[in-house]
Order: sequence, then C-alpha cells, then structure tokens
Amino acid sequence: MAVVERREDLLEEAPGRKPGSRSRRVTLILSLALVLLFPAIAYPVFDSYAYVLQIGMLILMWVAMSSSWNIIGGFAGYISLGHGLFYAIGGYSAGLALAHWGISPFLFLPLAGLAAMGVGFLAGLITLRTRGPAFIVATIAMLFLGLLTFDNWEFIGGTNGLDLPLFQFPIEFLKVPFYYAMALTAIGAVYLSYRVAHSKFGLGLRAISQDETKAEVAGINTRWYKVWAFALSAIFIGMAGAIYGYSLTHLRPLTFFAIAVAARMVLAAIIGGRGTVAGPVVGAILIIGVNEVAVRQMGESAINIVFTGLILVVTLLFFPEGIVGSLRKAGRLPAFLDWD
Amino acid sequence: MQWVQLVVLGLLLGGVYAMMASGLTLLFGVMRVVNLAHAAFILLAAYLTYTLFENVAMDPMISLVVTMPLMFGLGVVLYLILFPRLEASPRYVEMTVLLTFGLALIVEGMLTFVFTGIFRSVRPVYSSTAINLGEIFMPTSQFYASTISFGLLIVLWAVLRFTKTGTAIRATMQNRSAAQIVGVNVRRVSAISFGIGMALAGAAGSLLSFMFPFFPARHWQWVAILLALIVLGGMGSIKGAVIGALLLAIASAFVTDLFGPTWSPITFYLTLFLILMLKPEGLFGAKVRL
Repeated sequence: MAVVERREDLLEEAPGRKPGSRSRRVTLILSLALVLLFPAIAYPVFDSYAYVLQIGMLILMWVAMSSSWNIIGGFAGYISLGHGLFYAIGGYSAGLALAHWGISPFLFLPLAGLAAMGVGFLAGLITLRTRGPAFIVATIAMLFLGLLTFDNWEFIGGTNGLDLPLFQFPIEFLKVPFYYAMALTAIGAVYLSYRVAHSKFGLGLRAISQDETKAEVAGINTRWYKVWAFALSAIFIGMAGAIYGYSLTHLRPLTFFAIAVAARMVLAAIIGGRGTVAGPVVGAILIIGVNEVAVRQMGESAINIVFTGLILVVTLLFFPEGIVGSLRKAGRLPAFLDWD
Repeated sequence: MQWVQLVVLGLLLGGVYAMMASGLTLLFGVMRVVNLAHAAFILLAAYLTYTLFENVAMDPMISLVVTMPLMFGLGVVLYLILFPRLEASPRYVEMTVLLTFGLALIVEGMLTFVFTGIFRSVRPVYSSTAINLGEIFMPTSQFYASTISFGLLIVLWAVLRFTKTGTAIRATMQNRSAAQIVGVNVRRVSAISFGIGMALAGAAGSLLSFMFPFFPARHWQWVAILLALIVLGGMGSIKGAVIGALLLAIASAFVTDLFGPTWSPITFYLTLFLILMLKPEGLFGAKVRL
C-alpha cells in the first residue's frame, strides 16, 4: 500500500487543497482494496471463477493501456494509432525470454516495460518530427512496419507465432497470478498518469496540446517533452502485453498489432475523457464491461466492432470531452472522480 | 526485357491506385480531413459489386453505374450529418481523423457481419485471361481497370478545370477563407467534394473487386498504401497523388520481383515514413502547416 501513503503525502503538500479530498481518499482506498481483494471476494461468490478473474484481468489491462495512451494522446494531444507496437514489444520480449532462456514473464515484467519504453523513445524521436494528421498517419505506418517485420521474422516464429510453455500452477487458481500482475501494472499506470498530471512536465504537455508554438515560446522544450511522453506512454502497455501474451501461451503478431487494439485504447480514453486522470479508467471499465455483457448475451460477433465505431462517432459528435470532461464542464463531476 | 514488364505491371496497378488516392487527396485538399475510412468505403463498394455480380450477374465494370452515384449520395449525406458539427471545434483536424476512424470501424464491422471474414472475389470471364503484346503480358482485368481509372481521372480533371463547381472546389483547396470571401459556398463545395471522393471510392471498389480477393479487415492495409501515395505526392495535390501512385506502384513491382511478394507493402510504409520525416510537404504539396 505504499502507493496510498505517497499519494496522501502529495495531498498534504498540495497548496489550496480542493474540497472533497476526503471522498477522493476514501474512493482511492476502497477501489485499491477492491482491486487487491477481488480474487478472494470472488472465489465464494462466482461459480465460473476463472471467467470472472479473466474479465477482471482484462478490465485492469485496458485501464493500464488507455491510461498510458492518455499521456501522449490526452495530455499532449498527439493521437497515436500505433501503440499496438509497444504491446507487441512487451509481449514478444517476455515471450522470447521465456521460450529461449526460461525466464518467467512475471520476473521479466520490468524489462518488458523498459524494452517497450526504449522502442517508444526511438519511435518517438522519428514520428514526433511530424504533428497533427501527419503524426497520426506516421503512427499507422509505424504499426504496419512493425507488423510486417514481426510477420517475416523467423526467429520469433513469423506469422505462425510463438508457443510458450504453460504456467505451472493449480488449474483452479491459474488466473490469480495473472490477475495480480495485471493489477500491479494497472496501478502503476494510473499512478504514473497521476504523477504526470500533477507535475511541471504534465503542465508542459498540456501547454503543448493547447498551442505548441506558444508553449515553445514560453520556454518549454517541446521536442523532448513529447518524446518523453511518448516513451513513458509505452512502459505499462509493454508490461500489459507481456502478461497478456503469457496468459494466451501462444503469441501471434496480429494479436498485438491488430488495429482494434489501438482502437480500444483510444476509445476508452476518449469516452472517459481525454487528458484527465480518471477518464481512461472510467472509459476502460465501461468499454470492457459493456463488451463482455454483449459477448455473453449475443456471442462474439462483428457487431462489437460496429458498436466500437458507433460509440466513438457519437462521443466525438455529442460530448467530445468524454464523461469526466463533460461532467466537469457542467460542474457536476463528483469529487471522488476529480483526480486532476 | 524483364524491367519493361515490371514497369507495365506497375503502371497498370498504379492507374487504379491513382484513382483511389485522388479521392482521398481531394478530401484533404478541400476539407483538411484525412479520411481513414476511405479504403473501408472502397471495400463497401467492392462488396456491393460482389452482391450484384452473384445475384443478378451484373458485370463489375457495369456496376460502376450503380456504385458511383450511390456512394456519391452516401458521401453528401455523411458529410452533412457529421462534419458541420465539428467545424467549430478547436481540434478540428484531430476530431475528423478520429471520426473517420470510427466510420471505418463501423463499415468494417458491418461488412464482417454480413459477408463474414472469408476471402471473396468477383470472377468475370476476363479475370483469368491475359493480353500479350510481344513479350509483354498484361492481365486483362488490370488492363480494363486501369483504362477505366485513367478515364475517370480525366473526367475528374475536366470537372475541376472547366465547371463552375470545379472552380469553386479548386478555390477552396487553395484558400478556404478567401474562397468564402469571394462568395463560394464552402459548405456546399465541401459536401460535393466529399461526394466526389466517395464516388471515386465507389468506382475503385467495383474495379478492385475483380482484381484482388478481399475481406473486410483488408482496408487498413489499403488505406496505409493510399496514405503513402498521397503523402509522397503532397497531401491535397491531385497531380501529386497520380504521380506518387504511379511511382510507388512501379517501385513495389520491382521490390516484389527482387524480394518476393511478402515484402512489397514495405515499399509503401517505408516511403510513407521517410517522406513524413524528411519532406512532409511531399513532391507537389504546398507547404501545409499541419
């Protein structure tokens, strides 16, 4: 619970504490407790224990992914559709470490994050030479170049994919370690997002998203701010990829590079509220929740993609600031969701 | 004479690419919209052509008469419903890209739902024959598709050059607010341009349907190729799109010959990447502040 204590320190230091900090603190502790105790609570309650934990893991994964994406896409306002690359880097680096050297992906996790960050840094150096629509197009090109490389790379299995050994664990509780690893990743991602939002760095990113030229005139080194934001946004996506890939036991390039992966990160962040800390969390829970209910009721079908697109279009047209952003604008954002 | 053959094949394919890309670049020129759904709409038209061929045995080249007006209408309607709302947004460009991303997902999902994800293709008699000119051979289907594409490009050029609407479109491409000042109804021009772009996508879909097998998720690959073409030529420049398409199609024919077909897409993605980094305005684009 180190996270909690540190966050309270922050609140103590923050000058002019906003009203409602108590309810925020309560929410934080309650939600952390819920996340960490969920496997224990769910065990006696649900028959399909593995399924419930799987859903929990997926929600946490998308929380981590869209919170990370939000650092570059929300705070800095640079929409990337290529973050599937970092997901793949994480998944494959951990997978290769397991397949070739027998290192457990759970131990390899920090390195998977670092690998993704390194690639993110290099990719950022190149793609961030462009802005606006050109940047979006560049990230798509980055994604396809990555996919093509992975598809044709014999060492990592090419299109056929890479088989991983099963994780040795009592089958009934097999999902538990995956769940906790993903929970740590999600908490880390949200914490990073929070720290960025409350730092001078985050302020700089917001300035860039509003008017890059003015930000530069104000003395912000916009280039390095953007590149670092890009690199930071890759870390937890890489870690999520490592855990998710291990849980699949079979890695295929398209699992990670599919445009639907990028679409979901973007969608969760936009629905929840781009550029806010709570937004991507709310968005991810909503999206995955709705998606799972839909899949349960109607079966996995292409209609899911239609809904993803429809929700994106409707959100952009009618409340482009997302749930958190719109509520704040209307002055009705409950204090417990106001994490900025 | 191996290289002549490759150039001919590249030019045939390039003609079709040129028409697909011209619709995309027209939209960017007039509205500053990067339409990520362009290839999804091309695919929509391809499936329409497929349905017409399977059910009433309509020749894909004749179904252009159906797909083009339908897509034109769809384009105008979509524009009027979706885009005026966003015009006031301070993040117009970003919003429109995300909007078309959403549209692409909707079209892809609907096509997958109706036609499933398996490969389809339209097979008229000429899809498996070839024309031989001495040592040069041309697949008949590509020859027809390319001829029609160049024909449509000439029509597009004539419309832009000689009609009043065409002049208004060109004026809007050069300077939107100045066009408005001299009395161009910019919204009407934008709606018509969106329609024209979609009509070209419709034609492209009908032609593609008998050139390549297709499945719904294919369009991402195509839109990346199209973006590479228009970025190389300079976004918003139709002349640039045509030249970019011909150049890259020939280049990819050579890459296929040297390294095998799996690597041919890399021509497009690498070009896209390099041009964006080194010369973002492309070969013929005005220096657009993006």
